[in-house]
Amino acid sequence: MKFSTTLKALGLTAAVALAPLMASKAQAAGTLTFAVAIDPGSWDPIDTFLVNWSSAANNIFDGLTARGADMKLKPGLATSWELLDNNSRIRFKLRQNVKFHNGEPFNAAAVKFTFDRLLGDEGKKGPQQSNYTSIDRVEVVDDNTVDFIMKQPDPVLLTKLAGYGAMIVPPKYIQEKGDAHFNMNPVGTGPFKFVEYSPKVSLTLEAFPEHWGGAPKLDKVVARFISEANTQVAELQAGRIDIATLIPFGLAPTVEKSPNLSLLSITGPTVVSLRLNTKDGITKDVNVRKALIMGIDRDAIIKAVLLGHGKPIASFQSELSFGNDPAMKPLPFDLAKAKQMLQQANVPAGAPVRIDFRGNDATFREVAQAAAGFLQALGLKPALQPHEPPVLLNDIIPNGKTGEAWHQAWGGWTFDYDNTAYLMYHSGEKWNPYDNDPTLNALLEKQRTIYDVKEREKVLQEVARYVADKALEIPLYNQNTIFGVNKRVKNFDAPADSRFRFTETTVE
Amino acid sequence: MAGFIFKRLLQAIFVVLAVTLIVAFAIRLSGDPAIMLMGGGNVTEKDLENIRQALGLNRPFLVQYLSFLEGILTGDFGKSFMGGTPVSMLIARALPATLLLAFASLITSIILSVPLGIYAAVNRGRWPDQLIRILSLVGLSFPNFWLAIMLVLLFSIVLGVLPPSGMEGPESFIMPALTMAVILTATNVRLVRTSMLETLSQQYIMVARSKGLRDRVVLYKHALRNSAIPLVTYIGLQFGGLIGGIVIVERVFNWPGMGTLAFDAISNRDYPVLQGTITVLALFIVLINLLVDIAYGLIDPRIRTE
Amino acid sequence: MAAAQAMSSARRHFRSLELVLGVLLAGGMTLAVLFSGLLFPDGGESMDLMARLTPPFQSLAHPLGTDPLGRDVLARVIVGGKISLTVGVFSVLGAVTLGTFIGLVAGYYRGITEILLMRFADIQLALPFILLAIMFLAILGTGVDKIIFFMIVAQWVQYARLVRGSVLSLRDREFILSARAIGVGNGRIILTHILPNVLGPIIILMTLQVANNILLESSLTFLGLGVDPLIPSWGGMLADGRTYLQTAWWVSVFPGLAIMFTVLGLNLLGDWLRDLLDPTGQTSK
Repeated sequence: MKFSTTLKALGLTAAVALAPLMASKAQAAGTLTFAVAIDPGSWDPIDTFLVNWSSAANNIFDGLTARGADMKLKPGLATSWELLDNNSRIRFKLRQNVKFHNGEPFNAAAVKFTFDRLLGDEGKKGPQQSNYTSIDRVEVVDDNTVDFIMKQPDPVLLTKLAGYGAMIVPPKYIQEKGDAHFNMNPVGTGPFKFVEYSPKVSLTLEAFPEHWGGAPKLDKVVARFISEANTQVAELQAGRIDIATLIPFGLAPTVEKSPNLSLLSITGPTVVSLRLNTKDGITKDVNVRKALIMGIDRDAIIKAVLLGHGKPIASFQSELSFGNDPAMKPLPFDLAKAKQMLQQANVPAGAPVRIDFRGNDATFREVAQAAAGFLQALGLKPALQPHEPPVLLNDIIPNGKTGEAWHQAWGGWTFDYDNTAYLMYHSGEKWNPYDNDPTLNALLEKQRTIYDVKEREKVLQEVARYVADKALEIPLYNQNTIFGVNKRVKNFDAPADSRFRFTETTVE
Repeated sequence: MAGFIFKRLLQAIFVVLAVTLIVAFAIRLSGDPAIMLMGGGNVTEKDLENIRQALGLNRPFLVQYLSFLEGILTGDFGKSFMGGTPVSMLIARALPATLLLAFASLITSIILSVPLGIYAAVNRGRWPDQLIRILSLVGLSFPNFWLAIMLVLLFSIVLGVLPPSGMEGPESFIMPALTMAVILTATNVRLVRTSMLETLSQQYIMVARSKGLRDRVVLYKHALRNSAIPLVTYIGLQFGGLIGGIVIVERVFNWPGMGTLAFDAISNRDYPVLQGTITVLALFIVLINLLVDIAYGLIDPRIRTE
Repeated sequence: MAAAQAMSSARRHFRSLELVLGVLLAGGMTLAVLFSGLLFPDGGESMDLMARLTPPFQSLAHPLGTDPLGRDVLARVIVGGKISLTVGVFSVLGAVTLGTFIGLVAGYYRGITEILLMRFADIQLALPFILLAIMFLAILGTGVDKIIFFMIVAQWVQYARLVRGSVLSLRDREFILSARAIGVGNGRIILTHILPNVLGPIIILMTLQVANNILLESSLTFLGLGVDPLIPSWGGMLADGRTYLQTAWWVSVFPGLAIMFTVLGLNLLGDWLRDLLDPTGQTSK
């Protein structure tokens, strides 16, 4: 019987394969396990833009600057910096006696190598290069000093140096072992060093006691990749992970009520809006757009759907964002006035409003339905069109195939309105399929040349007010970043940008 | 017989080729991986062109496809667009996970359906038979993700006895295997029952019984052996469906298998990973169908001429 | 002899139990869904954020409670059947029409159609269904019509294979040969002699496949590929309600039960039909 021999052979394979799977459990002493939604596939800083990468890799690598859980910029591998030559040169003094995990010394050559690589051919293959194109080149002044020669001014550069593509990598290691090896066996100067990476399953790190900021208190950190929010919560409830990073709002009360768990809900970078089609449909008329904003009770949505884990916004940024104007208030909810405005604009009853959105976003599915409920109350005929995310992001939005409105969620880790506003409102940008407004373009371009903090802030606030005046979008809310945390975790400073750094954290 | 096997083998190769061609073509219709890799950032057309160049996507479709085929023949499935991990390494980790889960599901289903099927056959027409048949249909009547979530709620959260996700030890197989097995069992119980009824009515069983052999001995020794052949072949055929349908269960249980790999690959438009996983899955399904065919051919020569 | 008689009457009794249960469940749900427009003129879309997640069995206004947006669960469960049944019924009707036609042609005339059909069937067997669905819906976009279209494309082969098999076993039988001998045309032979004889297994497969496709629709919604969430659908309610299982079980348990009753009813009917029309069990897939 061929079948039975096949079965036997496969059974044997099974037994062999099973053996290494009897892996260790979470909750070991000194080990912290946390869940991230997506496996970035590579740990090389220049290969990814995913927050998930940073949640883990922020422990492996350091940047020249650093940003703590309070979102304030502070020295990292550079101890100080100054702007020279009319802002076209930035000089960094480097921290001394720092070593990479493999023993290689950190010095000016390593900084130069990192940025040559990022801005060169290797960087071309990844998404990070485009964030750093304002840098022309890096020059070594001496072993502990480097100069960044700027191609164009970049007021956000110091923040950008605190993460992602600007994380400093070891030159000798990469030259010897090659990029492919580095992807899966990362080496940095951070407080934890790489131990093991099992694709789609987990990443394991262990403490690097010689870290310049002091030895971490934990022995081991494990990141597990879990993409379903419900599964993360189940794992948290079962006590098998210590921190869950994906908590559906509906499950927040469950976590809150659980005696051994706590819910951290902090203001984060994620803002959500319904962008409006200014070219076709009833939303062509600015008064109709304003009526739609006034017709949707955003506070009620925050209260009922987000269960209070969010804040109203007047422009497409969080209150932490540079360029946010606290004095600016969103248009109030006023159903009667909205109805009246629609009537004045001659919008017929039952006029269609189609909203395109990401089908896999469970929270927004509910938000969209609630918003549609308000549109119905205005006498309109809303329809919701779910899309597979790549289709929405690659085709529907950039090619201007949306209905009257579309779902835009955004969360720039730099907390600077510049990037968001430029990509959303400058003509020709992928996220701006419909508008071409010279005034807005000019404002957006102008602020990119200004290093003076106060002045640039003013221009950004002007952009925000201009956009609100034109009602280019319905600003819905700034959604809180929420984490579910096991109470055995102590000294965990939850960062608003989800870029964890577990140096001070301990577990009981 | 050799001619029959040769012909079947040719057909199998044709099928796998066709599958790879369809998948390679369809995935390229569904979106550009360059944009997926760049995320929402500051992308210019030039950046995208750079990435396409680096990934070899600006070559004509046929060239890309042929180089993929060439890679398969030399055992090189290429590298993932997401981070450059070799696809063969991803598959080498994911395939055992999926196969183990598939086997665990089949075995669970057999453990459930053989005794139930026999019991139903022996009690044909009486209430245990009815109850078993109707209950097994209930298992077929709700979506598997639903059952999975309910099991997690009960065993992981309320009772706290089983891990809610991941593949970490024998205990982590229980819920995913059970979820898959419930669906298989509905048909398997019927299959066992029918073939038992057929066997029981055959002459030599009657003779064995009349010789005074105890019922249980008759049942298990003679009848079961004879109904095993259709069961095994049918299960072979199920294996393909099982692998195809495993995607959702893997997703709910965060199982690091082929389904998860392929699902993520579609979401990221990671062509090499998707093409690699589907090719390997198709190879498995075709291979098992081939074995079933050959087994049939050995048992029943009439089929060969078809 | 007496024993055999008793057994056959017991079997008949059993068959009728399946029939009664099947008709009650599937028929009852279908009727409720068909008349949902009369029962719930608002289509289950009325929203009341202040009355969100009202538990069931507490008020007459919301006998089965409300969902996270304060919509009536009972209304949505009944109205939600429309999508599920539409997808289930129309996908099967489409697939059976296409599949039967091709199966008849392939089985009767054989030749190139048959070869193509059989190879096509092999290919389809080797493609993982759900993954194919995701790619397909990514290319075409989502929507009830597209889901139905996909199911037809993916499932007609089953019917074609079944029909071809039956035709092959019929085409050399005496009554066909004699019909041909007296000059009856091929089209007429197919319609009057062959089609009626393959109808039994087709109907059984159809019943089971309607049940199966209702479940598939809910799985696709679970994966985020479903239809407009404003239109209630069982799959959508299940998928959305899974977040609330621990706090508000009724949001997803009632649509789950609705699916279960309908699908179970259909499966029971299919099973009963199988016993009735196809005692040799050819159609057990």
